[in-house]
Amino acid sequence: AKSIVVGVEGMTCNSCVQTIEQHVGKMNGIHNIKVSLEDKNAVIIYDSKLQTPATLQEAIYDMGFEATLAD
Amino acid sequence: MACVDLLKHEFFVDMTCEGCSNAVTRVLHRLGGVQFDIDLPNKKVCIDSEHNVDTLLETLKKTGKNASYLGEKSAQ
Ligand SMILES: [Cu+2]
Ligand SMILES: [Cu+2]
Repeated sequence: AKSIVVGVEGMTCNSCVQTIEQHVGKMNGIHNIKVSLEDKNAVIIYDSKLQTPATLQEAIYDMGFEATLAD
Repeated sequence: MACVDLLKHEFFVDMTCEGCSNAVTRVLHRLGGVQFDIDLPNKKVCIDSEHNVDTLLETLKKTGKNASYLGEKSAQ
């Protein structure tokens, strides 16, 4: 399993955090996701056979947030 | 009566905060071809669009929130 940090802009409260954790957490190949309101990011542990940094970024973007990959 | 004139389709979206309504705003903007009005306290989104209801509902559901179609709201 791999780990990645995705920057997330646009969350305002804990329910935003939970929405992302639940939605992304349900996707295939996600072992763990921890979203932080303060740090404005999501730490995701995933199976690299099923997901890539780009698909994870897109999943959060699609939910209506700004998602960025640190490089 | 939060929907203003010309806005046609009324949807329920389970929004709880401004982050939610901003997320709804973004997904609708990205879809394009929509004019909409968000009523956060009443959890309603009114949309006037060239897209059909199914497309609009799918788009709203992308936010990960519960969403359902309430019906048509005639302009008056
Ligand atoms: Cu929120
Ligand atoms: Cu919210």
